[in-house]
Amino acid sequence: MTKLFLGLCTATLFFGWVLASPPARAGDASAGSDVFKTECSECHSIKEGRNKKGPSLFGIVGRKAASISGYDYSDALRSKTDWVWTQEQLHSYLSQPAKQADPGTKMKYDGLSDAKQLDDLISYLSTVH
Amino acid sequence: MLSFLNRRALRRPKKVLLWCGLAALLLLASTAAQAIPAYARQTGSACADCHAGAYGPKLTPYGMRFKLNGYTDTDGQGTKIPVAGQLTETHTAPARGPSSTALTEADLYIAGRISDQFGGYAKIESDYVGHNNTYNTRLSNLDLRFVAKELKLGGKDFTLGVSVNNNPGFDDPVDSLPAATELVPSGGSGPTGTFLGQNGSNSPARRVIGANVYGLYDSNWYGELGTYKSLPTSTQDRLGYNIAGDPGRISDTGYFRFAYMKDLKRQFFSAGVVGLTTKRQLLRTGPTDNLLDLGYDLSYQFIGNRDNIVQLSYVNILERRKYGSTPTGPTGLTALPRGVMHDETLSVTYTFKQAYSLQVAHLESNGTRDAVRFGPFGNPDTTANLITVFWTPFGKEDSFTSIANLKLAASWYRFTRFNGATNNIFGVPFGAAQTKPGDLNAFSVYASVAF
Repeated sequence: MTKLFLGLCTATLFFGWVLASPPARAGDASAGSDVFKTECSECHSIKEGRNKKGPSLFGIVGRKAASISGYDYSDALRSKTDWVWTQEQLHSYLSQPAKQADPGTKMKYDGLSDAKQLDDLISYLSTVH
Repeated sequence: MLSFLNRRALRRPKKVLLWCGLAALLLLASTAAQAIPAYARQTGSACADCHAGAYGPKLTPYGMRFKLNGYTDTDGQGTKIPVAGQLTETHTAPARGPSSTALTEADLYIAGRISDQFGGYAKIESDYVGHNNTYNTRLSNLDLRFVAKELKLGGKDFTLGVSVNNNPGFDDPVDSLPAATELVPSGGSGPTGTFLGQNGSNSPARRVIGANVYGLYDSNWYGELGTYKSLPTSTQDRLGYNIAGDPGRISDTGYFRFAYMKDLKRQFFSAGVVGLTTKRQLLRTGPTDNLLDLGYDLSYQFIGNRDNIVQLSYVNILERRKYGSTPTGPTGLTALPRGVMHDETLSVTYTFKQAYSLQVAHLESNGTRDAVRFGPFGNPDTTANLITVFWTPFGKEDSFTSIANLKLAASWYRFTRFNGATNNIFGVPFGAAQTKPGDLNAFSVYASVAF
């Protein structure tokens, strides 16, 4: 009985821990690829070193903001020396108009209000490295 | 530049000049980091970002915005040389008459940004006119812009610009008016077609010069107002145009365009109206006609993730004419003092993976019957269809090469009505060889390379 009880407690704790953990952007990366094509690809490439109107997003997740040497960033983004494009930072930035998230930015984007699409997009960006 | 244009209708082929030009462009292209036609080089974008078929001219909403911003958008990576070239080789097989294969067109584009507020598009076109490798060089479409971006009007985004252009409707951002698409049925005998439809023999296209002020309010509302005057015949001649096609002296000319453009990212639609009012003296002296063009157009694009793009466009233009004279014909009949012309175009294009496209267009031009003005039956009606398939293997971001872009196409141009008739379209007497509308059909295959 004690072993069973202990076993049940352990199992409950384990499953509780799994369910309670934040999903850590468990979006659908392949759906996110489509979101990228619709929302981002006109100005951004995911190819390493390929800058367009916006900088390359190759390896964007975890990258320090305004850090690609060949791209002419706005002063506004350059001044955000503490910004790192973590999944959380990307989520906050992309869920609102760019000029609201970063006043003075060059980026023209109205934000992505669909939460699922945003999760999918960030999951996809996490695979691009 | 004008002295270069004066060297038109060259007898011995200045093909050596064309090849030298081509070599020069290749050299220019190879010195740039990513050597692609002028706008792509300037913006860092792939051709496919602005053009649905990864090759001009049909525009995506992104391409429309680039045009609205006066062709000035840039990737900020320094100044690029705003020059591009295009060569087109065509094999034409008309329904009647001999087939031919030739380098039919060589174009030089001077197109791009001068500064953040000035940019433009200019095309110099050299067309093959047959026999002895003769080419006629002319100034094609011209659209020079001043633009003030990122203004605010009532708290909303506002872009204000001026376009100086030589073709009413070419500067339209939706890119669906006849001046931009050139989807008009060739007119029959007489002053057929509307002024804006440009299918008659005295079309204003590229033989006028005008200035339009335009604005885009809150990203969706577009308005444009302007005026035009026709170029002197001597200037038309110097720019490479036969003065027999002179649109006449135009005066009191007003042009307007209003459109609602909605970009939903995965879809786009627009609804617009266009109008032009003008007086016209076709012979530059004597009686003056009054023309009033009013039209509406609708367009829709499904873009999605760009794997399957569908573009629909419908344009309907009505022209009311008050003629300045009512001549009497050989049979004693008098021409009508007024008339109406009506041009309609419906175009549907499907593009797969921005590489394979099918376009089907239905073109109609109708008008008031007039036994004196329109020969031989007094009926100006023309109906035609155009079916084109094309393949653009490059022009995308991940393409094999970005030095040049290539379009391979096959098109069928079919007439089903001409001069208002479905048989004996030139009204020859019984016994003489008759021409059916289908005898004007043409099938052609062409390859265009852009640098």
